[in-house]
Amino acid sequence: MIQLFNITKAFQRDQNALSDITLRVAKGEFVYLTGPSGAGKSTLLKLICCAERPTRGQILMDGRNITQLPTRHIPHLRRNLGIVFQDFKLLNRRTVFENVAFPLEVQGRRRIEISKKVYQVLKQVGLEHRLSHHPLQLSGGEQQRVAVARALVVDPLVLLADEPTGNLDPDVTMEIMEMFKGANARGTTIVMATHDRGLIRQFPRRVVSLEAGRIAGDSRP
Amino acid sequence: MIGQGIYFLLRALRNMRHSPVLSAASIFTVGVALALLAFFAIAVLNVQRLTASWAAELAVVAYLEQPPEGPVLNRWLGEIRGYPEVASVTYVSRQEAYQRFRQRLGSDADLLDGLGADVLPASLEIRLKPEARQQTAAVVERLGRNKALGELHYGREWLDRFEAFLLLLRTVGIALGGFLVLAALVIVTNTIKLTLYARQDELEAMTMVGATALFIKLPYLIEGALQGVVGGLVALLTSFVAFRMILRESLGNILLLTGIDTIHFLPFTWQILLVAAGGLVGLLGSLLALRKFVRFCQD
Ligand SMILES: Nc1ncnc2c1ncn2[C@@H]1O[C@H](COP(=O)(O)OP(=O)(O)OP(=O)(O)O)[C@@H](O)[C@H]1O
Ligand SMILES: [Mg+2]
Repeated sequence: MIQLFNITKAFQRDQNALSDITLRVAKGEFVYLTGPSGAGKSTLLKLICCAERPTRGQILMDGRNITQLPTRHIPHLRRNLGIVFQDFKLLNRRTVFENVAFPLEVQGRRRIEISKKVYQVLKQVGLEHRLSHHPLQLSGGEQQRVAVARALVVDPLVLLADEPTGNLDPDVTMEIMEMFKGANARGTTIVMATHDRGLIRQFPRRVVSLEAGRIAGDSRP
Repeated sequence: MIGQGIYFLLRALRNMRHSPVLSAASIFTVGVALALLAFFAIAVLNVQRLTASWAAELAVVAYLEQPPEGPVLNRWLGEIRGYPEVASVTYVSRQEAYQRFRQRLGSDADLLDGLGADVLPASLEIRLKPEARQQTAAVVERLGRNKALGELHYGREWLDRFEAFLLLLRTVGIALGGFLVLAALVIVTNTIKLTLYARQDELEAMTMVGATALFIKLPYLIEGALQGVVGGLVALLTSFVAFRMILRESLGNILLLTGIDTIHFLPFTWQILLVAAGGLVGLLGSLLALRKFVRFCQD
């Protein structure tokens, strides 16, 4: 599903955030990305969604080379991705319903279809009673569930999550993980950056660990 | 298609509702710049109208000390009519001159009471063909050979001077107007940038879920254009009120001395142009502001 060939990313000269990374993530796989702060986890996720360009190397997504994807095609790539951030990145002036509906609106789906789908996903994450709230009226855990709902509403091929549980208490973390597992079971490939060793122990999956921009380990349970 | 249009319009209106002060600032800026431009346009248009009517009226006038006998007069008229540059010749008798003057004075006509109808001299009014206006001096010289024709007056120099003035007015108007519109554009751009700074996270979030640049920008472009159009309408209204209250009188007082009857407001097409210019400034302003705010990739 995702293939990286000899990826190097240097933000500044002679200082690689990522060095010569080669990695293959199969369709339907669930991969943790771990490593100390500054190891390059976020950078790797940004390269996969074209928020940054690699300095060297090639990236294939679903068999398609996206290394030099023209900027105007990036939106179409992202319609197949679900992206979840540590800080949620919700539209704070819109309601929960509108936030989750937004990726579908963007794709020009019909209103009835949108309503049905959004309601269904919000029910899955247990927030159907919060439809008309604004994000800032919700707890952090609820906001992250909204963000996950927004990522999953499009049935993405790939879900990229950058420390999605970083700010959340253990109960909410469990809820989020259950949502990811559900999506994974339905066929979505997941790449999730996390520091949380306990979490990895609790939900064992393939673990790719980075250190100073290089792959230091790749293990399956 | 219409549904899409309404969707983007609603998003634009919603943005404006969330930042009313900045919206008002944009509208105000465009309004002031275009109102000043409109004042200039009103002045230029009226002076232009005046010169045009003068040019049409431009005549060489020969004052006759002693009105000649009928046959002599007819011979002169015939002779002058024969000049290739001349469009028409009319004889204005003393009585006619007196009547005209009375009419021009209007309500002040009683100033003439007690003066005889023969205070003004008779004259020949010689109108030149429009294409022969450059030859006015030559015609005057030819007329001057007939010593019986008294003083010869013509307005050519006046008209030239006025046309030069008009050119100056127009140049200053265009330069100043261009400067004002440019200044308005810069201010509007920066005002919209302020609203965008506050919404940077939102714009970024939109880029991450697959929205195209146009989808993200369109509401802002509509917002800018709407603000510009409203600014244009404000300018139109302001200049109309100013026209009714001040401009018509002050400009009228200056120009009335020169014989023009009424001062006109901008014609309809110019009004439309003014509002459209506002819309364009707003649209361009938001386009410029958006340039570096909607980024999909840190290339
Ligand atoms: N936009 C940027 N400009 C310059 N350097 C950057 C930029 N983004 C990341 N870096 C550098 O790249 C390296 C990797 O950063 P990255 O954010 O990928 O680490 P991380 O593994 O996600 O760390 P954390 O666990 O703290 O989130 C760091 O040294 C960081 O300083
Ligand atoms: Mg990170």
